[in-house]
Amino acid sequence: MRSIFGLFAKSPFGPLVQHAERVHDTVVLIRPMFDAFVAGDWERTEEMYRRIEVLEHEADVIKNDIRDHLPKSLFLPVDRGDLLTFLKEQDRIADRAEDLGVLLTMRRTPTPESIKADVLGLVDAVVTASEKWYQVARELPTLLEASFTGPEVDRILGLVNEVALAERETDDRQALVTKRLFEHEEEIGAVSVMMWFNIVRVLGSMANAAENTADLLRLMLAKR
Amino acid sequence: MTVELMILAIALVAGLYMAWTIGANDVANAMGTSVGSGALTLVMAIVLAGVFEFSGAVLVGAEVTSTISKGIVETELFDPSGPLGADGPTLLALGMLSALLGSALWLHLATYLGLPVSTTHSIVGAVLGVGLVSFGLDGVQWGGMVQIVASWFVSPFLGGVLAFLTFGAIRRLILRNPDPVEATRRYSPYIVGTTVSIMTLSFIYKVLQNRFEAPPVVMSIFAALTAGVAAGVIAGALLRATRPGSRDPYQYVERIFALLQIATACYVAFAHGANDVANAVGPVAAVVDLYRAGFDVVSSEVTVPFWVLVLGGGGIVIGLATLGYKVIATIGNEITEITPTRGFAAEFGAATTVLLASSLGLPISTTHTLVGGVIGVGFAQGLAALNLAMIRNIVNSWLATVPVSAGVAALLYTLARVIVL
Repeated sequence: MRSIFGLFAKSPFGPLVQHAERVHDTVVLIRPMFDAFVAGDWERTEEMYRRIEVLEHEADVIKNDIRDHLPKSLFLPVDRGDLLTFLKEQDRIADRAEDLGVLLTMRRTPTPESIKADVLGLVDAVVTASEKWYQVARELPTLLEASFTGPEVDRILGLVNEVALAERETDDRQALVTKRLFEHEEEIGAVSVMMWFNIVRVLGSMANAAENTADLLRLMLAKR
Repeated sequence: MTVELMILAIALVAGLYMAWTIGANDVANAMGTSVGSGALTLVMAIVLAGVFEFSGAVLVGAEVTSTISKGIVETELFDPSGPLGADGPTLLALGMLSALLGSALWLHLATYLGLPVSTTHSIVGAVLGVGLVSFGLDGVQWGGMVQIVASWFVSPFLGGVLAFLTFGAIRRLILRNPDPVEATRRYSPYIVGTTVSIMTLSFIYKVLQNRFEAPPVVMSIFAALTAGVAAGVIAGALLRATRPGSRDPYQYVERIFALLQIATACYVAFAHGANDVANAVGPVAAVVDLYRAGFDVVSSEVTVPFWVLVLGGGGIVIGLATLGYKVIATIGNEITEITPTRGFAAEFGAATTVLLASSLGLPISTTHTLVGGVIGVGFAQGLAALNLAMIRNIVNSWLATVPVSAGVAALLYTLARVIVL
């Protein structure tokens, strides 16, 4: 078939949103996984981890597919490098969710009552930051429709700021949980403290990844 | 049946075949963006394409037609008084016939190979090949040829620039506006007005001028402006009756532009018919002219009979009805990445360029001009992703088309000379 419409390459924006959806699916499982873990339900924790693992892999497949379809000869309305970094950071959110699953299933670490509430508070803050990121990522097609200009840009920059605020909230909570952890270090035990310290750190870096992803969108918008 | 009548009959069949190819392939390129953006359904696209391609071909087609049969080769050299003697006119008829068959064959092969080849480039190359065989380098009107080839580079570029500016204006006035819905209501009457003015102006200049006496320039401009203002006012009144509906303002913008794009789609079909019918009809017109003169004289001015244009326009419609609709359906499904605002800009830029070129009598490629339009929109940040590697593909097929169709036509011409004379 003789057609000039090979000129239209497959848009990476639709798959980017698909990728975001898959990543978000892992985010949604974080709270149930922590609920099970805190309650000492190892079987359910393991089950949640397995589900995250599958979703993370699906996200990886989409990620690789997007990369495969972004040759240098493509002309995009945004910087190609920015787009690829955006994808990488977005994927990191799911990676961190998986890391959490690994940490929670590698050792049956008990949750002392003294930190329980604060840990769940931190988990919720991380999930909130990630939810805000998801709102931003879902706007990519609308942004394209608006040709990266106008009121849509202002609205998205507003959302990006909300992600940053949510991330700051997780920083505060992270510091609080860590402090609590060392206050009760004798009672919790050195190995458990080490485990918890790591869990808290990964939670923090998950929120960071969400913020970085949103920030990259700001960068793409600022370049025009 | 005399040899002369046979030549005429074969030329008519070959011309119809060329027109069929154009209908089968090129119309799909002209309509693809409209179907892809959802502005037109497949059925609507086919009906509008049929009507406007045919009217463009029949009403405006004559202008470019004479360039193809005369502007490339020194047809006067074929006169009985010329170097070829009494056989000259017959040779010219055979040449035109070979050109038609040669380019149709090359187009057929290219279609089979999936190359984005232009029917315009193909026929120009074929006529060139015939000229070279007849008189060597001296038989070709190099000045005209340079102009034609230059227009092949200028037209996609101009189409691109116009599309870039059009989308840039939409972006600035509507998409960047704090209230895109209100901005659409405010500015689209002007867009409608401008489109209608340009269409009216080209209509007056092309259609009326060909058929009747040309009206004075001031009057033409006045008529175009009046039509534009009237269309704008009507559009404004109709727009006030529309409702934004959904929460997403861009959906409203696209909905309105889908309506505007129907107008540009018709405009493209009209311009395409006007421009591309010549590829099939030009050589046929030359043969018909020779037949009428009894193969005794080569007229310096070939007039294109109305029925020949009807034949060409009819061939395009048949091509559209038999195969073209399938191609349009395929393309429409393939390119979902274009929306009406983008499609409008690309088509507006392309159609304006094509009408401009056909009023200058330049045979340009509608398809390639539309490629320019699409790239222009892409550079104005309107499209998700453009495959720029495709440009190399198109340029390669340009480079191949002229020599190959020239070669095939030259070969056929040499054979025909041996058989007939």
